[in-house]
Amino acid sequence: MTTRREFIQVLGATGAALAGLTACGGGGKGSGGGGGTTQPPIAIPGAPILVIVNIDGGYDWLNVMPPNAGANLGVYMAKRATLGITEASALTDLGSGAALNRDLTGLDQLHGLGRVAWIPGIGMPNPNLSHFTSIDLWGQGAAVPAGTGWLGRFADAAFSPTGDVLRGLTVTSDLPVMLKGANRSFVSIPSAGGYVFPAYLLSGNAVPDAATLEAGWGASLSATSADPAYTVAAQAGRLFYDAQNNAAFGAGGSLAARTPSVLYPGDTGYPVTRLDGGNLTGNLSRQFKLIAQMIAAGLPAQVYFSRLGGWDTHSNQAVDHPNLQRALGGAIKAFYDDLASITTASGVAQDRVMILAYSEFGRRVQENDGGTDHGTAGLSFCVGKAVKGGLYGGYPDLGNLDANGNMKFTTDFRSLYATVLDRWLGQATATTDTLLGTSYPRLGFL
Amino acid sequence: MANLAPVAAWTLPDVHHFARRAGFGVTPEGAAALQAQAPGAAIDAWIDGTGAAYDLTAFTTALATADVVLEPQVNANTSVAGSVDVPAVPGPHPFLVEGSDAWRNSLNTAQAAWAWRMQHNPYGFQERMALFWHNLFATGQHKVDNAALMLKQIQLFRAQGLARFDDLLVAVSKDPAMCIWLDSVLNNASGSRIPNENYAREALELYSLGADNGYNQTDITQLARALSGWSFTFAEADYATSPANPNQRVAADGRFKVYDGSAIAPDTRLWNSQVRATSYAMHGTGTITLFGQTLDITTTANGWEKGENALRSILTARGANCAQFLAKRLLTHFVTADYTAQDLNDVAAMIQASTFDLRVVMKTLLKSQYFFDAAHRHALAEGPVSWMVRAARMLCPGLAAASAQTPKGFPAWRLVTNNATTFDQAGMKLLDPSGPNGWKEHTAWLNSNTMRYRTKAAAAIALNETRSYNGTSYPLFPTAVTTDWFPAAPTSAQAVYDRLEALLQPGPLPAGVVSGWLSALWPGAFAWDAASQTKARELAFLILCSPAGQLY
Repeated sequence: MTTRREFIQVLGATGAALAGLTACGGGGKGSGGGGGTTQPPIAIPGAPILVIVNIDGGYDWLNVMPPNAGANLGVYMAKRATLGITEASALTDLGSGAALNRDLTGLDQLHGLGRVAWIPGIGMPNPNLSHFTSIDLWGQGAAVPAGTGWLGRFADAAFSPTGDVLRGLTVTSDLPVMLKGANRSFVSIPSAGGYVFPAYLLSGNAVPDAATLEAGWGASLSATSADPAYTVAAQAGRLFYDAQNNAAFGAGGSLAARTPSVLYPGDTGYPVTRLDGGNLTGNLSRQFKLIAQMIAAGLPAQVYFSRLGGWDTHSNQAVDHPNLQRALGGAIKAFYDDLASITTASGVAQDRVMILAYSEFGRRVQENDGGTDHGTAGLSFCVGKAVKGGLYGGYPDLGNLDANGNMKFTTDFRSLYATVLDRWLGQATATTDTLLGTSYPRLGFL
Repeated sequence: MANLAPVAAWTLPDVHHFARRAGFGVTPEGAAALQAQAPGAAIDAWIDGTGAAYDLTAFTTALATADVVLEPQVNANTSVAGSVDVPAVPGPHPFLVEGSDAWRNSLNTAQAAWAWRMQHNPYGFQERMALFWHNLFATGQHKVDNAALMLKQIQLFRAQGLARFDDLLVAVSKDPAMCIWLDSVLNNASGSRIPNENYAREALELYSLGADNGYNQTDITQLARALSGWSFTFAEADYATSPANPNQRVAADGRFKVYDGSAIAPDTRLWNSQVRATSYAMHGTGTITLFGQTLDITTTANGWEKGENALRSILTARGANCAQFLAKRLLTHFVTADYTAQDLNDVAAMIQASTFDLRVVMKTLLKSQYFFDAAHRHALAEGPVSWMVRAARMLCPGLAAASAQTPKGFPAWRLVTNNATTFDQAGMKLLDPSGPNGWKEHTAWLNSNTMRYRTKAAAAIALNETRSYNGTSYPLFPTAVTTDWFPAAPTSAQAVYDRLEALLQPGPLPAGVVSGWLSALWPGAFAWDAASQTKARELAFLILCSPAGQLY
């Protein structure tokens, strides 16, 4: 059942009279712990870029944004007797009975600037506790899944079937279902160098007859075949073949080098460390640096996909989870800051990029002996200068769990997708509804 | 329906189809020898590894001195008593990651060691099944953090990959690497503690039944309780220590142990290396209700470990679901991803009728008319490790020839695997999947990045790429066109293609592609000279990275 507050938030952006109520909590009051002053959102940019961050493994967002008041706090303290985050010094109050764990490095500052839209309790009817089923459901994003992803279908609708080879891009080496279209697919480019055909496994060898080989390979990729598996291989090869011909990949298939303007987690000298004092993982940092390099090089990508894994904290959560949060939050903050230093013909990158973070599910409210098991509703958040910061959707009622002790969702994840497709990726309302199979209420953060 | 009756005769294309799927290919000469035998007997020997063709003696000998390339961590510090400066000793050197060398704990070396085995094991079916089980029971080094234990699990697949599936499931559940991978070692249900359900969930979802197929959340928590305390111990002698650094120690082995507070002798160390006389008390007590049955999780009846009865009840209570699960995985890996519901039911029924005897299952499936249906030839996209190994098997010198060369003519797998990045970028980070679901197969192997890396690997294999290491230049895949590929000189461009097609076995290429390649490579008169031999390499490269070359 939708509460009045949720109702107002969902409708917020559609009614000027209600606009002031769309974002509840500290963001609207400039009271973030980072000390920033809330800044008004900028207009949706002319050449927007969406950067997806997949928080892989089902993250325990309940410890990222724990309740800090009311009945929820009592339940939380009882069920998280060991792992719960309750010390005021570790938290930034967000209002509405929720707080932000400061281990999510830098996000309290971004929140204070009004740059973060939080959607706690995001999920779906009939949630599935399998990582892999839930990843597919989040990826497909349709009422009737059909093996394609919501962004893949967007690519089918929006990208040129013969051009636009670099318009959708993942910096992971795989191709998640979220990015699979019926006709179009995203290109996978996980590194900035050696993106050229033919390329030796290891450098340093001359190719005997490069032009002949390229023509010969191209001929086999262009040949038509009734064999569907041949066709899939040819399409995959063709994406690489066409992408590496983009002028942005210069000598040796390398993008123009770029030195980040800020330190990222994992970099020497980055001020935040692991709990044990060691360097944070630079995995997501590396992906963000690559995306920044790609934007700076002028690649025409409109959607980028990135991933940070390790969040399946069945055990050792007290150590692993803070370390992961620091790497995630710190990388997002560094990326956001770094983008301010990139200006291309399409504008300042920081104005153009919106980061969307999601995970396949949250974790069980009741902790086990040192960790948390699979749960249901999650926390998504969007970061960007055009975002109207604050909390959207209702925080789950921890006193009203399902039969397995898991949270009931409060916002359908496809409302997030619909909002992004309409307002960030510029799709007509009817097109968005077609891409998602039906119409979902839009959220008010854009 | 899937006709599981055995074929009575086979053609050469049938033999190649069988060898691609049930091994890593066979040379044209090997195919002719197989075809001369009746398929039933030939396939029995292939699967059982019986007969001179599958004798492991020479392979086992060669394995001890296989590699030709060192890596930095082999450089032990000679200033430490008892250490060896390996580079000072002339090569070749073995893969140094198991037993007393476990302290090296190198994923790259472990990958290279397994790839070498896949390439050279004459009993290739053993490695094929190990690769299949590694995907199904996918376990990863990034959490296990012990390459020796990872390889121990692969050895388990070699030893028991054709046992009964319930026995295999139990053995994997007791495997040290698995116990670490999915937190069994931290699953504590003593007293009122809440068990860690990581392994129980995946044991049902990924390892025996399939998602939402015959179990619910209560079954997961109950099974987690039954399997609490499943862990391992090890002996002091198995604590491998770096000669250069006494603090660098890694367990080289482990013995299964239910942590119920009892003595661990003759072992002295717990899984986490702690020295103790007794295990922690982690195993739950009392009964559970699983699939509607009440089970005492403290019984050791039948010689089973505490909680094992619960694990075994998956097959007794949910046999039909398990058979369907296994049938899907076997069909997608060995036969076709395009099976009908009836095909699936037929194979599942056969699995159940065999009482999950995997040797019977594999023989029945791989001899069947269904398997040999011509529509299934080249109907699957091949995984990248299999694809690379098969090309190496077909193009590189065999075990005896390579062993006789100085330096040994084996592929420099430790350079090929390139700090464990090559298989990763090609889409299958061997011994280190990102999650316990392993890798989706068939067309899921193919995307723009994996195709990019296949072109790189094809270049390394076909174009005789070398890499300099410590001042020595090593061919990554040592191959000789005239002796290894063309023992008889071809007399035309078409003959070059025909021989390479027979070796590499690509799927059907659309009309005009091959003739286009040949006319571009040999625009004038054909002569089998050095230039043509380079062209032959280029043609092999094109076959390997063409779309048809990804199918098997």
